[in-house]
Amino acid sequence: MKRFGMLLGLALLLITISPQAHAGFGIEGDLKIAYIMGSTRQDGGWGESHGIAIQAIEEEFGVDVAVTEDVPEDTVRVKQIIDLYVRRGYNIIIGNSFGYSDAFLEAATEYPEVAFMNAAGVTNNQKNLESFYLRTYQGWYLAGMIAGAKTETNKLGMIAGFPLGLVNWDINAFMRGAQEVNPDIELAAIFLNTWYDSVKEGQASEALLEQGADVIATDLSAASALNAAEQLNRFSVGFQIDMTRHAPTGHLASVLLVWAPYLTDTIRKIRAGEWEPSEWGAFVGIETGSVALGGVTGDLPDDIRARIEEARQAISEGKFTPFDGPLNNQDGDQVVAAGESLDDGALWQMNYFVEGIVGTMPASN
Amino acid sequence: MSSAFFLNWFATIPDYAAPLLLAALGLIICERSGVINLGAEGLMAVGAMSAVIVSFNTSSPALAMAVGTISATALAVIFGIAVVYFKTNQVLSGLAIVALGAGITGVAGRAVAHQPVPGFERLNMGFLSEIPWIGKIVFSQNIMIYVCIVIVIVTWWAIETTRYGLKLRAVGEDPATADTAGVDVLFYRFIAVLCSGAFCGLAGAYLSIASSQVWVEGMIAGRGWIAIALVIFARWRPLRALAGAILFAGADSLIPRLQAIGADIPVYLMLALPYVLTLAVLIIPAVLFKRADVSPSALGLDYLRQDRH
Repeated sequence: MKRFGMLLGLALLLITISPQAHAGFGIEGDLKIAYIMGSTRQDGGWGESHGIAIQAIEEEFGVDVAVTEDVPEDTVRVKQIIDLYVRRGYNIIIGNSFGYSDAFLEAATEYPEVAFMNAAGVTNNQKNLESFYLRTYQGWYLAGMIAGAKTETNKLGMIAGFPLGLVNWDINAFMRGAQEVNPDIELAAIFLNTWYDSVKEGQASEALLEQGADVIATDLSAASALNAAEQLNRFSVGFQIDMTRHAPTGHLASVLLVWAPYLTDTIRKIRAGEWEPSEWGAFVGIETGSVALGGVTGDLPDDIRARIEEARQAISEGKFTPFDGPLNNQDGDQVVAAGESLDDGALWQMNYFVEGIVGTMPASN
Repeated sequence: MSSAFFLNWFATIPDYAAPLLLAALGLIICERSGVINLGAEGLMAVGAMSAVIVSFNTSSPALAMAVGTISATALAVIFGIAVVYFKTNQVLSGLAIVALGAGITGVAGRAVAHQPVPGFERLNMGFLSEIPWIGKIVFSQNIMIYVCIVIVIVTWWAIETTRYGLKLRAVGEDPATADTAGVDVLFYRFIAVLCSGAFCGLAGAYLSIASSQVWVEGMIAGRGWIAIALVIFARWRPLRALAGAILFAGADSLIPRLQAIGADIPVYLMLALPYVLTLAVLIIPAVLFKRADVSPSALGLDYLRQDRH
């Protein structure tokens, strides 16, 4: 229900942004930054993308970021770690897990002089705590255009974790992008009900390949999915970090999570005493380079390349979103009318597949 | 659904079944000697991680399987000394092994996490692999599947027909009598624990080297627990474990295939299927063969010579 609150909030944000003249949040003294991570910086995906951001922060501000890895989503444990950092004089604390939300809110209230940010979190207090997430669907749309152009069987396969809004929008945007360049395309999507089972990820990819898919896209992080495609000389699309090394020949592109623009920008504001955390959290995308494509194949027709760049531009400028109407769901019912689009609240609650996707959406019934 | 669907499905079942079967066989040996081993998940984790370290550095999958087996056996030595010689609580010690395995692999495996490693190719046995259906299902598996079949037969033969197997079973059924007859009860139990370590290590190495060709923290993902359920389903018999593993693998490999063709079936039910199946394999034998409790009589009991009566 907390997520729902944020969703609703994100929707309202669009209409209620009002210029307020109060002074922003700032810190006194030198920057001392700590990062609390749910996994490690070598986890092949989520943690690694945050590791890249940590490096960018260190380079930009000339500081050493203190990092605690493998911290479970346990409010008491997270709070203890924050307490320790604050006692040691750290004044900016960044987390990267949904499950840290409560601990961060508690700590932000207890330590009003410290800045808190939490990726994929759902708590915000408008004073010194802001959660942030990326519009990953924008990158998936562009990746879908590449996949749609490259497929020969007109069948794409995608594996994903759980049927949540922030997963479903990746799958749907991937399909929308593919349909944009190839109207006859079909996409089969499989939910694995896990985030980290490399065996299942490989085996499910094999099942999709058997059904004739010649592009395997993974919304997860294990190399086994890309490897399965590579072994059959088929294509693959990675996620979170550049996965080219897992499939040197068949890798088409990876949808990158780039946390650095938001983080460095926010830290700069904090240093200048101008940070005004949003009531609904930050939700950034391709316009700031927070979502991008990496390792894009060189073997792409020029006209497709131009169309992708055009779409990227249009999305950045806010002229276009992957879910502009008319948009039909899997059953052919209209979800978004022509001329309209999905607001952020509707995005977070996306619980259907768009037209053309083969697969059963558990949340739809 | 076309015949190709069934052919592909059947052809992948051995790959799903092998790790479950190997782990279950190791646990059967261990439990037939009277020691409950709940540490499979941890032993498999160590096997999977150490195998990938070797495969990553040497590019030799065979050596990797061997090292995976040996390192899990080393962890089993700790478990064996604790439960057999120091008579610690078997259930708690097993759970400690699970935690220890998860911890060790999380720390030691960092450098190789998400690094693709070489695995085993599917074999091509010439004309045998060309036979319709049989060729793809039976004669085109990776080499470890055939090794696995040999292991099942040898395990069955060793437990059920040899003198050593008889002593092992005697130790698990009635250690006092076995002791009187001159069998070194603790030694047999210790060796049985080591066997479970070796088999679970091999199973873990199969998952990382043969199945996914990559190691990720937590990748055993509950398969050790499923193996424990299989042991009970198999009623501590190696050949029944083979049947159980095939049954389980069949259902498990069907799930992504049905999703891939977009079959209109409730997805939540399918996602729950492995667990429903685990429950089912525990309940069905209990209902079908209620006449007798066939678990080894001394299962979970410490043996102290002075308590003999």
